[in-house]
This record gives sequence, structure tokens and C-alpha cells, in this order.
Amino acid sequence: MNLEHQSPEADPISPEVARSKPDDEPAAGQTQRHYWRSLQQWAELARWDSQPQQERGGTAEAWAEPVSRRHFVKLMSASLLLAGFGCTGCRRPEEPILPFSTQPPGYVHGLSQYYATAMPTQTGAVPLLVKVHEGRPIKIEGNPLHPDSNGGTDLFAQASILNLYDPDRVTQFKHAGQPVSRTEALDTLADLAKQFAANQGAGLAVLLQRSSSPSRERLIRALRARLPRAGWYVYDPVDFSRAELAARLAFGRPVRPYCRLDQARVIVALDWDFLGTEDNQHVAIRQFAQGRRLLKPTDPMNRLYVVESLLTLTGAQADHRLVLPPSAIIQAAAFLCDRLLGPAGAPLLSALRQAGPVSDQAAAWLAGCAADLLKPEHRGHSLVFAGHRQPLAVHLAAQAINAALGNIGQTVVYHAAAAEPFETLAQLRQALDAGAVQTLVILGGNPVYDAPADFDWGRTQRKAKTVLRLGYYEDETSAAADWLLPQAHYLEAWGDARTSDGTLLPVQPVIQPLFGGLSELEVLARLGALEPVDPYHIVRATFRELVGAAQSEELWKRFLHDGFLPGSAAKPEPVQFDFIAAARATEVTAEPPPSKDALEVVFSRDLKVDDGRYNNNGWLQELPDPITKLTWDNAILISPATAQALGLPRLQPAGPDWRVPVVQVTVADRTLTGPAWVQPGMADFVLGLTLGYGRSRTGRVGQGTGYNAYALRSWAAPNFVPGAKLKLTTQTYQLACTQSHGALEGRGAVREANREEYQRQPNLALELDHPAAHGPGLAHGQRRPLYPNPLDQPGPDGRTPRQRALHAWGMCIDLTACVGCGACVIACQSENNIPIVGKDQVARGREMHWLRLDRYYATGPAASQPQALAQVQVIHQPMLCQHCEAAPCESVCPFNATVHDEEGLNVMAYNRCVGTRYCSNNCPYKVRRFNYLDYHRRPLYLLRGPVYASPLVHRTEGQWDLSRWWRHPDGSLRPKTEWELLKLVQNPDVTVRMRGVMEKCTFCTQRIEQAKIANKMGAGPSKAGPLPDGAVLTACQQACPAGAIVFGNLKDPNSHVAQLKRQGRNYVVLEWLLTQPRVSYLARIRNPNPAMPDYVLPPLSRLEPEASGRQPSAES
Amino acid sequence: MSATFPRWINRLPLRLAVGALALGTGAVAAVWYYFTPKYTRVGYQPIQPVPFSHAVHVEQGGLDCRYCHAGVEQSWYAGLPAAEVCLRCHGPRLGNVLGNDPRLAWVRYSAETGQPIPWVAVHRLPDYVYFHHGVHVRRGISCVECHGPVHQMDEVYQAQPLSMAFCLECHRNPAARLRPPETVFDLGWRWHGQPQQAAQLQRQFGQRAMQDWNVESLQACSACHR
Repeated sequence: MNLEHQSPEADPISPEVARSKPDDEPAAGQTQRHYWRSLQQWAELARWDSQPQQERGGTAEAWAEPVSRRHFVKLMSASLLLAGFGCTGCRRPEEPILPFSTQPPGYVHGLSQYYATAMPTQTGAVPLLVKVHEGRPIKIEGNPLHPDSNGGTDLFAQASILNLYDPDRVTQFKHAGQPVSRTEALDTLADLAKQFAANQGAGLAVLLQRSSSPSRERLIRALRARLPRAGWYVYDPVDFSRAELAARLAFGRPVRPYCRLDQARVIVALDWDFLGTEDNQHVAIRQFAQGRRLLKPTDPMNRLYVVESLLTLTGAQADHRLVLPPSAIIQAAAFLCDRLLGPAGAPLLSALRQAGPVSDQAAAWLAGCAADLLKPEHRGHSLVFAGHRQPLAVHLAAQAINAALGNIGQTVVYHAAAAEPFETLAQLRQALDAGAVQTLVILGGNPVYDAPADFDWGRTQRKAKTVLRLGYYEDETSAAADWLLPQAHYLEAWGDARTSDGTLLPVQPVIQPLFGGLSELEVLARLGALEPVDPYHIVRATFRELVGAAQSEELWKRFLHDGFLPGSAAKPEPVQFDFIAAARATEVTAEPPPSKDALEVVFSRDLKVDDGRYNNNGWLQELPDPITKLTWDNAILISPATAQALGLPRLQPAGPDWRVPVVQVTVADRTLTGPAWVQPGMADFVLGLTLGYGRSRTGRVGQGTGYNAYALRSWAAPNFVPGAKLKLTTQTYQLACTQSHGALEGRGAVREANREEYQRQPNLALELDHPAAHGPGLAHGQRRPLYPNPLDQPGPDGRTPRQRALHAWGMCIDLTACVGCGACVIACQSENNIPIVGKDQVARGREMHWLRLDRYYATGPAASQPQALAQVQVIHQPMLCQHCEAAPCESVCPFNATVHDEEGLNVMAYNRCVGTRYCSNNCPYKVRRFNYLDYHRRPLYLLRGPVYASPLVHRTEGQWDLSRWWRHPDGSLRPKTEWELLKLVQNPDVTVRMRGVMEKCTFCTQRIEQAKIANKMGAGPSKAGPLPDGAVLTACQQACPAGAIVFGNLKDPNSHVAQLKRQGRNYVVLEWLLTQPRVSYLARIRNPNPAMPDYVLPPLSRLEPEASGRQPSAES
Repeated sequence: MSATFPRWINRLPLRLAVGALALGTGAVAAVWYYFTPKYTRVGYQPIQPVPFSHAVHVEQGGLDCRYCHAGVEQSWYAGLPAAEVCLRCHGPRLGNVLGNDPRLAWVRYSAETGQPIPWVAVHRLPDYVYFHHGVHVRRGISCVECHGPVHQMDEVYQAQPLSMAFCLECHRNPAARLRPPETVFDLGWRWHGQPQQAAQLQRQFGQRAMQDWNVESLQACSACHR
């Protein structure tokens, strides 16, 4: 701990120093870093005071519906009247305690239980541990026991708990839109089963999504045997199977690649966003971070080359980034093959060459990359892989390179896969058109929304006589179905899955289906009249079959307890790359490069709502996109140069109102309109469209968000399509973008360096721009904080709190490991009962996230040219309450509502807070959040406004709001269906804060207290010592797949966090303010290759921009 | 010229001032006294669906607190017994004590139908207070400190205000309440001897326990509020 300020010679405050220079004017001779968050900043168009801030701006125009004086008087008299209704509210409410009549054995009321389960994904599963409180699941964690997990999760797993309690999910069985009883629906299924058993399944078509469930595979096998004439189809709007298909062709048998990124020293990603939009993101992030975990400067570190067209999370981590249009990535792959394959690859190479040559600039880049791959020390330790958007040829090329570089069996292994037994959606369409389908069963998915636009699926689907649909939401597909069966959430029904490495997992339910929903397994079993129909017995039977002779009750219990079957991971298969077969499968046509009149459209999976399945999840909708920082909408992404060429304003307008132009995109005869967003780092003449928004039928949360990119997608070109035209319309659209929220007014928050610098100068982070300390005593070379440090004030016993306390909590965040995925933000939201506020409120800077992810761009010396905007370097920084010891917020609180505890937590006493917001004003890190409008009790429809409606004139569900408040003080305006479900998701260990209260990160104080209580209870009447390291994990730390966040006791010099903080790249944000934060960061280390043409030393942010008249404001 | 106002009017302002002062003092005093947990909460004794007597069960029957409040040593919540626990003695299997007594109708009904007995909560903390029974009783704080002489109560009432001041009183000086661990559930237990001698013993024990068990005097907000 920094105690240097205690020096007795320190001067009292001297006014000259206290009124030092403004912070955004760096003193002469200082190294200033040049980061920017938004294009306005880049162009210095925006002044800081035009940005929406929690504590200034945006608040004056708080009421969309201005309250007149007369209105105000009305309100006040009504309130007075209410108060006069006697003290009914003062009377002690009678509260029942309802014990069990027979208590389940082993159950202790008030203790949470944890169950191992898994969330199935398209090609794998996320192993999970679910916290269940009094029978309701409330928090999802990763399963740390699982061999392919570190206890981290992705953000979808974190957010999936909100889907369970979604009031908009299907709650009833329906026939032709009318509710029917469950029995009636199941009888219909039984009738169908009888009919198909008689005709061997003629006229039956089943449409599924891909899944890794062995039980489903077994059931389908059984059904195929029983109903040989039935058709089985599979469709996923975002299809991750192309790498597997390439492997099958190249290796001559069904195998599936599994990347071991932790083994790779050089990684080349060809449009492969493994840290973002690819499947099993959490595994990739963990492995990638493992390859760059620096404990000392000499530790090995992987190097990432990325060739891509949009700016993705992977691109943000890249050490070298080459921006190409998607159709040109095959040229890059061909170039690499040319350099790397050797003579054996000649046939493949000649096929790939059809794609045409790369530009000279790209060739130089690729040559450098190839040279790095060819280094002998990288042989067998490199990895080249292609993303799901790329055509088969690129996948074949990448896998051929791996074969040539000896990576197979090292950084990429091949596991046996099942032969693809399904037919495609196109084949189903043919069958429907031919009238061959009588009964169409759609299990999951949402084809009416996400099928290719040329299929006109809504109409095509109706060609079947009966459409039966198992669905989670009443969505577009349900509307066009005869029978709608509610689908059980994965936390409600038995199932099984395999992780990407092949390990078998149980999907164990932790709650009874809330609305009697069915699982896929049960519907399939009923459809085939198979016995048993109960998913538990189905899963058990599969387990018995898979385990064979070893099966026992003990093993099953252990399987459920541990959450995986030990030793069930797939074994690597010996494979031989067949260049001839690969060449035969390679079909390449040369595409002209995109231009102003023939733009290229890229469809990308959304980082928040996936393919649309999380569209109604408020946590994900409100999470700022890790790159664009947009919430509640998607936008048409355009590079700055393209925007200029097409006559769009290159920069977004300034101010809280992100009104952006609406553009019309035309591909062939299909068009869509959407807001245009100028995004640095993108390829020119490329439009980035994210899927999953613009739903015509969804829940109350997702309604009206974004535009539907599926409208331009065709079966032939689902990933990118050339020849698009863009037209500017006269309309504008407001977006809610958080990229300028919580800006630190030009003060440095992130530090970064190249690896060589770091090796030369291990304590470089400390020396990186160090503005002269801001505080009294400066003139004498002494530094003393402006604010008192309560931990150093001796108590009655003469000891300071610092000496008395058993722990000193602190956190260290590794910016080299953080990829900005956002799992921590959602985990924090789930753990700490953080409400969603809606688009309008986000636009006003009122989002409630206790932990935000700041994203900074840097352009370096070429900053003045728009072309430089394609070459941005990106850095992500999780920003949360820094738990300053000498906290600026505490001194200004007139109510002592925010104070320190002995262990160094800056705590909020919500009941003391009256909402002056002084603390937030005085917080230099801008991490305090104010609850303006009682967000927990706002009905979902208010997410879109009006912001405020008077209870005297407004009705909700046919009842005056005032009377609702009176009758139902807890739920107030929330309709009962909403309230009863959504209150179940709240964590009972954390106060649900009301309106008018300031809140912020508490370092998960509830977890600390629980650990301390457990420790003390364990000690009983004996000495209770400090907690062991790792006894407390904060929610963000536990969710982080990269292990970037470490929390622990700084008093213990051997704790993980104390060790990390001793590293030379450890620094605290705004150190010169001498607030002495308990949160520190480890500087981001980049690992560029000096031989590359785009090599820069130091990182771009630390290079002076050209003296061009345009000075970027030194944001961050 | 006659006076417009009578003479006594002259003293009206003074009277008003005195009156207002008295009224104000009275109001403040009333709020001071009547609006505190000590007045509003202590003595609260709702009517329970089953006239369960702690006195009979503990004093006569010799039951331990933990027989019914089984979670008290593990959980934040002491727990109420399931109807099935009552029927261990009152049911036909064992003893069948008061097997047909109408006072136990709710218990039998609950055990048969699974309907919970709607007990009325007596002790209630605000939602923003996170009290943990387990850690208190395991570290030598007896039930009696907050719940009063429950072992002598026929119908449970609230004996202590359970206000923040009440909690802090002990948190500031835990040594005064720490007990030998084996006496925590013995609500009638006292140190032997004269009051002065007992106080001496308590002081000695308390201070030793603070040292030996490393008991912290937790006064930070985060100890109870999250």
C-alpha cells in the first residue's frame, strides 16, 4: 500500500497547485497517449460537455412529457391525500411463515444449493454450475471441475437465466392460436404417432437445429428405424459446420476439428472470430488467454494475425490485422498456401489460384505472416483457421496449411464425428413444394424469421397440412403453425450434451417446467411412440448405452454430481490430408473487388442476441456491443471512407441524440432499410449487417429493436453477398450508443506496450505517461492525496483500520487477457440485481451497469487520414468502482451514505442515500449509477417510453396507475404476470435498490460476507483466521473465461492478486490523483512481429499524430 | 375611541409562541418515544394458528431449540419445524401425545394435506438487513440475547427492539454477550454467584473469547447491509 503521502513534511493545500492546469492539456514534455472512443472525438468535433453523462447534461430534459405547474399541483395534492389516508402503511404487516409439512431430507432453509448442468450450444455445450435458492435457479456459473473449463462462461450462459423467467415465453399449449389443455396437445401427438407408425412415417418431416445431444441422436436413430419414410432436416441460420465439412472432404472420413489454441504460438485467423461470434467462444477465450498469460516479461506469448473484413473481438486482440473484403479472404488463403504448402499442395494451390491475386500491400503483409509461420520454432505450434462465414475452399486451404506445418495433432486435433445424416432446408423446401409433406414438425429454431429470404418460409411452411411446433417464444414461426407446444428451458428438463472436446455432460433440470413445457427429447419420443417418453429415463438409457459395462448407480450419481463423465473426451484421430480430394472439392470463382456501386454485404452473428434467439433478453439487449457500443439496436456498419464515398456524413452527429441517417440497402431485388453506423476498422465498400434484430413477432423487450438483416439473405449466399447498392434516405434514426458515456475527460486510463519494450523495461507501465500528481504538497516534491484516507485514521485502541482488519480486498485486471466479451457485465447484472433501463434511458446515459467495458481506438501517426481508420488498434478495459482508499466520493456525501469498511471496501448504505449525486459528480472514474425511475418496477412496455407518465392520467392494463400503486405497493405498475416471474430472478442476498438511490460495484460484498461467515462458523469457538486465497470470487471474476480478473486479499503477500500486483506492468488508473484505488490493471502487452510491414513501436496510441492541424482529443 | 382589539390580544403572540413550543416539544417527544422500534415492536404478540407453548416444550419437555429450529447452526434462517416434526410426538407413531386435541388440528391437517401451517412472523428484520443465525450461535451468542426468555413464553412475543441501535450495542462490545459455547442454547443459563461476581466472570470470559476466537467488533455497514 502506498503510504508515501504520510510524510510529515507534506504541505497543506496550496491554492496554486490545487488550481493546476486543466487535465486535458498535458504538460509539455509528457508522453501523451492518443486514444479516442468515438469518431467525433477523433475529429475533435465533440466537446466533452455535449456528451450525455449521468450527472450532467441529459438530466435537464429528463421528462419527455413536461409536467406543467398545474399538473404538479395535482400530483402533490394527490400525494397529500394519499398520505392522509391514515397510517395504514405504518401498521405492521402480518407476515406468514410457511414451513414444509414434510421437509425434504438434507434441506436446510436458507442455504443455496448448487447443481451441475450444461447449456447446449450448436456444436457443444457450456458446462455449468447453477445456484438454486429455495427451489429457484438464480445464478449460473461455469463448472470448474470440467476438464475443458475454468469456471468461466460465455455471456449467453450468464444471460440464459433471464430467459427462464421471461414473461413473454410460451405459457400455454395452443392449437390454431387458441389455448388448449396439455392433455389435448399430447393426445394429438399420440394420434400422429399412431398414424405414422401405420404408414412408416410417410408425409412426416422433422426440422431440427444442430445439437450435440447423444440422447437426441439415439432417439432419431430409433425413429429412423421405425419411420423410414420420414424426412429429417436440419437448419441453423448461423452454420458452424463448414470446418467439419472441409475436414470430412480433406481427410476422407467424418472428423471434426478441435483447436487447441493454448498450444499455438502463432495464430492466423482467416475471418475467424473465435473470440466472438464463433461457437464455443468461452473455450477459445480461455485457451487464447492461456497462451498470453504473462507473469514475468520473459514468459512466452502467442501472436495473433487476423485477416478480416469487419472489426471483431478477435480483430481487437490482433497483433497484426489485415483488412480485406470477405470475398478477398480466399485470395489471402491462396497466397498463404502458395508460400506454405510445398510441392504436395500443388493441385489445391492451382484450384485456389482461380481466386486471383492479392493487392501488393496485402501481399507484403501475408508474406511476413507466412515467414513467421515458417520459422522452425513455430513448426507444430502454429494454427491457421477459417471462420464459419468463409467458403469451403478457405477452410480447405487453412486445414491444408496446418497439415503442411505439422500442426495436426498439436494445435488442432481431429475427433471422430457422426456422419451428417440430415437433409437441408432447401431439400425440405423442395419436399414442401412437391406436396410430399403432410405433417411438419419444427423443433426449436425460428425458420419463418431466419430462413433465407428467397424461401419465403412463412408461405412455404403452410404447404404442409399440419405444422406442429415446439417453441420457446410466440414468434414468427409459431404464428404460422397449427400446434404450438411450449418448450422447456434447459434448466427445466433432462437432457445431455457433449462439450466441443467430446466430454459427455448431463443437462440436469433444477426447477419443474414453469409452464409445463416439453423438451425436444420428449416430443421426439412421443412422436415415435417410443417408451419411455420421460426425458430422465431417455437420458439414463443413453448413459447406460454409452458407458456400457461400467454402468452403475454410483457412476450415474457421480456423473450428475460432477457434471461430466470423466475420461469421455474424444480421442484424437490419426488423419492424413488428401490434397487431391481437397483440390477436387475446391470451387473458386474470382470476384471483382467491391466498389462504390457494388458493395459487399456481410452477415454476422450478433454478439448479443445471437441469431435472434436472445432478442427478448433485456440483459443482452442492453449490453453495449463490445465493438460498436450500441445497445437495443443493430446498425448497418460502414467504413469511414465508404461513408464519405457514398455521401454519408462520415461522422455521427454529436450530442446525446445519436441521430444517424437511415439508408436503404438493395441486393438483387431485395431491400432493407436501417440506420447507418460509421465503424472504424472495417474494410472499405463492405456493409456489416448483424442478424437477430427486427423481429416482427417477439416479446415486449425485443419488439421494435433494430432491422431484420435476414431480409437480404439468400440460400446461395448466406454469409456475404456482392453487388449491393446503398441509398441514403431522408430519414434519421436514433441509436443508443454508450461509447462516450463515462468518459474520463482526456485522462489516461489504459496503458499498453509492445512486448520488446516490456522485456527491455519491465516496469514500463509505471513509467508510461505519468502526469504530475495533482494534489497538495506537490511544490515540495511531496505527494499527498486530496482526500483523507479513512484506513489510516487510528481508532480508540490506537490501531488504524488497516492494521485491525484481517483482509485488504483488492482486484487486478489483466488487460492483455481481457478480450472484451462482456460475460462479466452480464454476470454482474445477474448477481447484483441490476435492472435494465431501456433504450431511451441508455441514450440519456442512465444505464445501470456496475461494471462497464470501455473500448478505445488508437490510430497513431497517420491519424489525419481517413484510411488510417481502417488500421485502428483497439483496447478494452473493464471499468468498475475502483474502491479508492482516499475516495473522492466519500468526502462529498452529506449523509455519510458512502463510507469505507475496515477491509477497504467503499460501501454504499442505500438506506442513508437521499440521491444528491454529489458522489457521482466527484468520482473521477465515473462508475457510480443512479436509479432515476424505479427501474425494477417499470413495466416492460415502458422500456420504449414514455419516460414518465403521470399516474393520474395514465392507465396500465385498464387500471389507473395511482390505484395500482395503492393496491400493489411491491409490484406497482408491473402487470402481475411480469412481476411474479421477473421477481424470481433476483438474488436474495443483494438488496433490490429503489428509485433515488446511488449504487455501484460492491466487490460482491455479499460473497465476501458469506465466505467470512462460513469461515467463522467453521472455526466456531476457536480462532478464525483470514480467508484462504480463492475463498471469495467476485461474480465478474468467476464468469471471466480468460481469467483476466483476479480478486483477493492484499494483506496476504502470497495471494494471487498480491503476486500479480507486484508485476512491473501493474498500474492504477489516474494514479496521480492519489486516490489509491484497490483495483489495478496490468498493462496490455502487444506482441507484433518486427518483420511485418505494419509493425509499429510503440503501439499506435503512443505515437504522436502528424502535425496536421487536426489533433485528436486525447480521450481516455 | 374604542380599541379595535381587546387588551388580551397583546399577549396573544406570547401565548401562541408558548403554545407552539409546548406543542412542538410534545410532538417531538411523542415521535421520539412512540415511533421507535422499542415502542412499536417490543411486545408484539400475534395470535398463532396453533397455540404452541415454548414454556411447555422447553421447560417441561426439555426440548433443545435445535430440535425444531434445525437450521439455526448452518443457515441465516433458524427455520420452523415441518408438521411432520411435531407429529413425531403428537402423531400416532410415537406416544400420540394429545393425539386428538383440537389445538393440534392445524398440525394434523398440514401433515395430511401438505398445506403449510400459516405461522405469523414475530421477529422481523427489514429486507436490507442480512442477519445470520448460524454465525451468531456458533460463536457464542445465545438465542436469549435477541429473542428474550423464549423458553418461558407461552405465546411468543418480541422481547427486544431489534433496531440498528440494539444490534450495534452488542457489536460494539461483543465481549459482554459472549458465552461458553455449550450454554448457547440453554436460555436460562447464568454465571454462578452474586451479580457482581457474575459480571466479573462474564468480563473475564468475554475478553478471553475475543482474543482466543478472534472475534471482531464488526461495525462497518457491509457487515449487515449488502
